[in-house]
Amino acid sequence: MGADASDLSLVRRVQRGDKGAFDALVLKYQHKLVKLVMRYVRNPAEAEDIAQEAFIKAYRALPQFRGDSAFYTWLYRIAINTAKNAVVSRDRSPVEYDLDRKSEESNDMQGRMKDSETPEALVLTDEIRSIVNTAIDALPEDLRTAIVLRELDGLSYEEIAAAMDCPVGTVRSRIFRAREAIDQRLREVFEGGLGRAEELG
Amino acid sequence: MNEELDSQLSAMFDDELPAAECELLARRLSRDEQLKARWGRYAVIGATIRAERGVPLNAALARKVNAAILAEPALGAVATPQRAPISAWRWRKGVAGLAVAAGVATVSIFWLRGQTPLATGPVAARVAAPVQQVLAATPVAASSAPAGQADSYVVPRTPAGRSVVVPITELANYVVAHSAVSSPVARRNLLSAFMTSDPGAAGTEEPLEAARSNAQ
Repeated sequence: MGADASDLSLVRRVQRGDKGAFDALVLKYQHKLVKLVMRYVRNPAEAEDIAQEAFIKAYRALPQFRGDSAFYTWLYRIAINTAKNAVVSRDRSPVEYDLDRKSEESNDMQGRMKDSETPEALVLTDEIRSIVNTAIDALPEDLRTAIVLRELDGLSYEEIAAAMDCPVGTVRSRIFRAREAIDQRLREVFEGGLGRAEELG
Repeated sequence: MNEELDSQLSAMFDDELPAAECELLARRLSRDEQLKARWGRYAVIGATIRAERGVPLNAALARKVNAAILAEPALGAVATPQRAPISAWRWRKGVAGLAVAAGVATVSIFWLRGQTPLATGPVAARVAAPVQQVLAATPVAASSAPAGQADSYVVPRTPAGRSVVVPITELANYVVAHSAVSSPVARRNLLSAFMTSDPGAAGTEEPLEAARSNAQ
C-alpha cells in the first residue's frame, strides 16, 4: 500500500490528459484548501476565490509534479503562496485604504453575496452539518469510533486497528459502513447527492 | 451500486487501497459521475466531522474549478510520465559521458604514439633515460626499474645509436668485403650468427653488432 497511491494514480491520469481525474482531486481537497486559505483571509467568498485560483495554478503546474512529495503537500504550498500574494495585492489596493470599518463590513457582505449561490449554500451547509452529525450519533459505537478516529484524528487503518484491537480489514469495513450509513441519509434528503452543485437545486 | 466497489472507493479516499487497485479505480472514478458524487460526499462527511467552520460544504467551488479546467488545454502531450524522461535523460548522459571518455582515451593513445619517437617531452625523457641506462648495463633487465622510480609499462624504444637494422644481404656484403682482414674464427662466429638470426626481425641488429665487434 503505497503512501499517497490514491492521489498519485489520479495525478498521473490528469498528467495524461484526463481532466475528470482532476475533478476528483478538487472534490476531495476543496474543503481542506478553503479552510487553509481562511487562515489568511476572513471572507469565505474570498477564500473560495483564492482556493479556486490555487487549484487552477496546480492544474497548470501538474506537468512539473514528479510525486517526490504527497500531492496535498504540494497543493498546500501553492495555496499558501496564492493566499499570501492575494493578501499583499489586496493590501496594496488604494481602494482598500479608504475603507472605514463599517464600509469594510459592508464589503465583506458584498463579497459573501457576490456568489448568487452563497445564501443557499450557507443554509445548505448548516443543513448538511445537521444531517451528518445526526447520522453519526445514530451509528453503532464501533462504526462511529472508527470513522471519527480516521477523519478527526487522521489515524491510518493500521493505527485504528491497534487502537480498536481488531484486524485492518475490519477497520476498512467499519469505516466504509459508517460512510455508507451517513451517505444514505444525505442522499435521502438531497435526492441526487452533493457531488455536483447543480444537483443541490 | 456494487458494495465491493464502494468499499474500495472508501479505502481509496483514505489512501489505504493498494496502488494497483487505485490505478483501476482512478480510471473509473474520473469517468463515472455517480461514483464521483459519492467521492465528493465522503469529503463532505469528513469536513463535517472535522467541524470545519465557515467552510461551505456544497460543491460550488468544485464546479467552478471544473468549468475553468475544461477551458484549459489537456496536459496529455506535455506531461506523459514524468520520471521516464528523467531516467532516459540520465541514461543518455551516462552514455554520452562514456563516449566522451572513450574518445579522449583514443585521441590520447594516438597522440602518445605520435609523440614518443621524438622523445623530446619531459615524460618521454623520464621514461626513456632509465631504460637506456639499464639496457646499457644489462640488456635483459629492462623490466626492473631503478629504486624510487615508478614502474613503466611503456616499451622502450631502441636507442638511436643501436637502431640501425641492416638487411641480411647488406650484412653479407659487409662480411665478404672484410673477410680478408678478419680472422677465421670471427668469420665462423659470424656465419653461425647469420644462420641463427631471423631476417627482418628486431633481433637482426644483435648479429650486426656482433659482426662489427668481431670483424674489428
